[in-house]
Amino acid sequence: MKHGRWRFLLGALVPALVLHVVFVLSPYAQAFWLSLTDWTGVAGEARFVGADNYVRLGGDSLFLDAVRNNALLLIVVPLVTIAIGLFLASMLRTSSARIGQGYRIVFFFPQLLSLVVIAVLWGFVYNPNTGLLNSGLRAVGLGGLAHSWLAEPAFALVAVMAVLVWSSVGFYVVLFSAAIEGIPRELFEAALLDGAGKWATFSRVTLPLVRESVQVAFVYLGIAALDAFAVVQVMTVGPGGPDGATEVIGLSLYRTAFTYGKFGYASAMGVALFFATLTLAVLALRSGRRERLELA
Amino acid sequence: MNPDSQVRPYPSRRTVLKTAAVLSIPALGGCVTSGKEDTGGAKDSGAEKTTENPLGVKADAPLEVVVFKGGYGDEYAVKAEATYQQKYPSAKIDHKGLQKVGEAMQPRFVAGTPPDVVDNTGAGRLDIATLVSANQVTDLADLLDAPSLDQPGKKVRDTLLPGVVDDGTFAGKTVALNFTYTVWGVWYSKSLFADRGWTYPKTWDEMVALCAEIKKAGVAPWTYQGKYPEYINDPLLSMAAKAGGPDLVKAVDNLQPGAWKQDGLVQAATAFAELAGQGYLMSGSEALSHTEAQAAWCQKKAAFIPCGSWLEAEQKGVAPAGFDMVMGTVPARSSSDQLPVTAVQAASSESFLVPAKAKNAAGGQEYLRILFSKQSATAFAEANSTLPAVAGATDGLTLSSGLGSVRDAVTAAGSDTFTYRFRTWYAPLAKAVDDATGELVNKRISPADWSTRIQKAADAVAKDSSVTKFTR
Amino acid sequence: MTLLQTRRTPVEAPPSPATKRTNPLPGIAMFCWAVVTALPLLWAVISSFKTDDEILNSPWSLPASPQWDNWARAWTAASIGRYFLNSLIVVGAALVLTMLLGSLVAYALARYEFRGNRLIYYVFVAAMFFPVFLALVPLFFVVQQLGLLGTYAGLILVYTAYAVPFTVFFLHSFFRTLPSEIAEAAFLDGCSHGAVFFRVMLPLARPGLVAVGIFNFLGLWNQYLLPLVLNPDPDRYVLAQGLAALSVSQGYRSDWSGLFAGLTIAMLPVLVAYVAFQRHIRAGMTAGAVK
Repeated sequence: MKHGRWRFLLGALVPALVLHVVFVLSPYAQAFWLSLTDWTGVAGEARFVGADNYVRLGGDSLFLDAVRNNALLLIVVPLVTIAIGLFLASMLRTSSARIGQGYRIVFFFPQLLSLVVIAVLWGFVYNPNTGLLNSGLRAVGLGGLAHSWLAEPAFALVAVMAVLVWSSVGFYVVLFSAAIEGIPRELFEAALLDGAGKWATFSRVTLPLVRESVQVAFVYLGIAALDAFAVVQVMTVGPGGPDGATEVIGLSLYRTAFTYGKFGYASAMGVALFFATLTLAVLALRSGRRERLELA
Repeated sequence: MNPDSQVRPYPSRRTVLKTAAVLSIPALGGCVTSGKEDTGGAKDSGAEKTTENPLGVKADAPLEVVVFKGGYGDEYAVKAEATYQQKYPSAKIDHKGLQKVGEAMQPRFVAGTPPDVVDNTGAGRLDIATLVSANQVTDLADLLDAPSLDQPGKKVRDTLLPGVVDDGTFAGKTVALNFTYTVWGVWYSKSLFADRGWTYPKTWDEMVALCAEIKKAGVAPWTYQGKYPEYINDPLLSMAAKAGGPDLVKAVDNLQPGAWKQDGLVQAATAFAELAGQGYLMSGSEALSHTEAQAAWCQKKAAFIPCGSWLEAEQKGVAPAGFDMVMGTVPARSSSDQLPVTAVQAASSESFLVPAKAKNAAGGQEYLRILFSKQSATAFAEANSTLPAVAGATDGLTLSSGLGSVRDAVTAAGSDTFTYRFRTWYAPLAKAVDDATGELVNKRISPADWSTRIQKAADAVAKDSSVTKFTR
Repeated sequence: MTLLQTRRTPVEAPPSPATKRTNPLPGIAMFCWAVVTALPLLWAVISSFKTDDEILNSPWSLPASPQWDNWARAWTAASIGRYFLNSLIVVGAALVLTMLLGSLVAYALARYEFRGNRLIYYVFVAAMFFPVFLALVPLFFVVQQLGLLGTYAGLILVYTAYAVPFTVFFLHSFFRTLPSEIAEAAFLDGCSHGAVFFRVMLPLARPGLVAVGIFNFLGLWNQYLLPLVLNPDPDRYVLAQGLAALSVSQGYRSDWSGLFAGLTIAMLPVLVAYVAFQRHIRAGMTAGAVK
C-alpha cells in the first residue's frame, strides 16, 4: 500500500509540476534575468547591462505615460465598479426573486465575453460618425455632447475606463448580492425598526458585512486595471493613443518586445509591472483575512 | 489561407513591420548563429558563361524554387519556371508555393541545404538583415549586370524601376530583388472631380484654394485613416522630401542633428497644420480606421485621401461603379522645391533571393533573370492589377483607373523617386513621428512643436548605443 | 462568479417588506443598467443582419430585410468558422487536461500528508498572483525552442499550465471538505489510490469540478494575450485573436456587416450556454447538498 501511495502521488503531481516549471516558473524566473540584459532575440547575444534597462524606464516618456494611465485606471475602475456593483446588489435585495434572477443573468452577460469582442463592439459604439453613442446623442437632440471619444485625449482614457467598468460590473453585482443574501434578514428588519433610512441601513448594516467581498473585488479589479491590454490594443487610436493618452504598461511591453525586438528592455517593464501587482495585492489584503480570499 | 492576403496584395507598412518584427527576428536566432562560421558557400557555377548563357547555368542541374503563395498566388512564378524549362529541357524543376516561407526555410538554411531561389515574403519571412550578416545570401551583382532576357542591349539592372536595386542592397551588396512596386500619393475620384469641375492641384496653394471650394460645395476636402496616423504622415513627408530633395531624406534617415528642423519638414508640417486649422479634414477622421475612412471617401463624403497604391485593390467592392479612383502626386510646397512635383515616394516588395549555399545558384539567378523579364512582369501585372518592379511592364496594357494612374505617376516621376528608410530602421522613431503628426493634424501641437518633438526622439535614438545604426 | 452565485444562493426568500412599499428607484436603476448592458449586445446582433449601408448611415434603425448572407460570409470568407473550430480544439483539449491535472494535484495535496506538501501548494498558488506579462517574453522563447510555436499542442500545454494554479487553488479547499469515510471504506475494499480518486473522490467532487470547469472554460475561451504571442499562424488563430485581427490589423475588407456577424457568432454560443448552464449547475448543487 505504501508503495502504491508514492506511485500515485508521483503520477498525480509530476505531470502538472513539469508543465508548471517549464511554462510558468521558468519564464517568470528568466524574465528577471533578461531584464538585466540587452537581449534582442538572437541566441547567444544577450549582454549583461545591469540596471541599465531600469534606468532607461525612468526616462521613457511613453512608459511613464503608461504608468500614469495604469495608475488612473487602478484608482477609477475599481472604485466605480464597486460603487455601481454595491448599489445594484442592494437594489437586487429588495426586488422579487424572479425579477432579480432575470437581472442577474443580464448583468452578467459582459463577464462571459472576451475582452476582444467587447473592445471591437465598443470601438463601433464610440465611432464618431456612425457609432451608437454619438448617433444616439444626436437623435435625442444632445448632439452637442457628441465627441470623437477615442481620439480626444481628454476622453480616450475615460472611454477605456467606461468599457472596463461596463464589462465587470455584472460579476461584482453577483458577488455582492451573494454576500448580502448571506446577511441575516433580522439585521435589516432591526435597522428598519430603529427607523434607519436606506443610506443608514446600507452604510451600517450592508457595507460592514460585505467588507471582505469588497476587498477581494479590489484585488481582482486592480489586477484587471493593471492589465487593460486587450481593450486598449484593439479599440484605441494608435493603439495607445492619441499620443500616449491610453498607453498601458502591457501594451508598451508587447510593442517593445514583439515589434521592436528589445526583449531585455521589455522584460524590465514586466518586472516593474510585477512589483506593482505585488504591492497592490499586499496592500489590499493586509487588512483582510487571507481565508476570505479562498472562499471567494 | 488568410482571406485578407487576397484582398490586400500590398501589405501596408504597418502589417509588414509587424509581421517582420514579430516573426522573423526571434525566429532566426538559431538559424543564424549556427550558420555563422560558413562564409561564401558552395559556388558550383557549372557551365561556361556565354552570351546565351550569361550566368553559366549547367543545363541539367536541377532547380528548386520556393515562392510565397499569398495575395498574388504563385502562377506567375510557375510561368517563369516553364520558360526556364524550355531553355533548359534537361533540368528538373521543383516548385513549392508556401505561405510560411520562414518556417519552412529556416531549418534548411541551418542545415546548409537551401533551395535555389526563395521568395522571402509574407508573415513569417526570414529577416534579410540577419541573413546578410550570416553570409547566407548570394550577391546578385552578376545577375544585375547580365543582359536582360527580352530587352536587347539592356542589363537587368537597367530594366528595373528606380529604387529597386537600393531596396535590395544591404551593406553594399545587392542580395535581393523585389518584384512589386508600391507608390504613395493622394487619391481622388476622377468622376467626382469631373462632375464638379475640380482639377487636381499641382501646388499646395492650389490645393488650399481647391479645398475651400470643395468645402463650400458641402464635401469634406480631406479624410484620413486617423486610427493609424502613419497614413497622413506619408503625404507630409513626401511634401518635405520634394521641398528639400534627397539630402533632406538622407539627413532624416541618417539621424543627423537638426534633421527634423530642416525647413522643408517644418514647411510641410505647417501645410498640414493649416489643412486642419481651416477645417479641411473631415470631422471624425481622427478616430476612423483605414477601412472606415476609405469607405467614407468612397461614399464621396471627402474628396481626398492619402494612401499607397494598394488602395484600389483594397476598395474593390466598396467603391461604387464609376467612382474611377486615381492617385495624384503630393502637391509642391513652393516653387523652390528641390524635386519636381511629379516625384513620388516609392518602394518595392516581394523579395526574391538566392541562398549562398544553393546547389544551383547560377540557375537560381537565371530564373530571376527570366522572372524579371518584361514579358513575365507584364503577365504578372495583367493577372494581379499590381505594378511590377520592371520598368515599362505595363506599357500598352489597358489598366484600371487606379493602376493606370499609378503607372502614369511612376512614368512621370522618372528617376525622381524617394523613400524614407527610418521607419524600418528605427521603429520607435517611426512611432514618435506618427504620434506627433496625429497631434499636429488635430491642432494640439504647432509645426514648431512637431519638429522639436520629433528631433528630440531622433536624437534619443542617435544617442542610444543599444540601437544598431544604419546610414545611406 | 457563477459558482459563487450558485453555491451561495439560498432558498428563494419571500419578498422582503421593502418591495411592498412601492419605491420606484430600485426598479429604475436596475432597468437602466440592464439596458446599458444589453443594448450594445443587441445592437451587434441587429447590425449583423443589416447591410453595410444601413450600418453606416442609420445605426439605430432595424434592417429593412435581414441579411443572412452576412453570417454565411463571416463564417466562411472571414474564416470565423475556422477560428471557431480552432478555439474548440484548443480550449477543449486544454480544459480536459487542466481538469485532470488540476484535480489530481489538488486531491493529492489536500488528502495526503508528505514532506513538501505545503511548498508545492504555494508554488502552484503563487503563480496566480503573477502578471502573465512578466512571463510573456521568456515564454515565447521557451515555446519556440520546444518547436511548439504556432501549434495546437503548444497552445494547449500553455493554456493548461496557466489554468492549473487556479484549479488547484479552488479544488484544494473543495477536496478538504469531502468526508473521508467513503474513501476509507474503499481502501478497505482493496481499491488502489488511483481507483479511490477516480471512482470515489472525483464523482463526489462533481459540483466543484463543474464550477471550476466553467470558470476555466470562460477564461480559456476568451484568452487573447497568449495566442497573440504564441500562435502567429493565421490558419490556427483562435476566435478572439481572429476577430481582433479582422477588426484591427487587417480591416476585414470594409465588411462591417460581416464583422458584426462574426462578433455575434463569437458572443451567442457563450451567452446561450450560460443561460442554459445556470439551471444545470443549480440542479447539480442541490443534488450535492441533499447528499
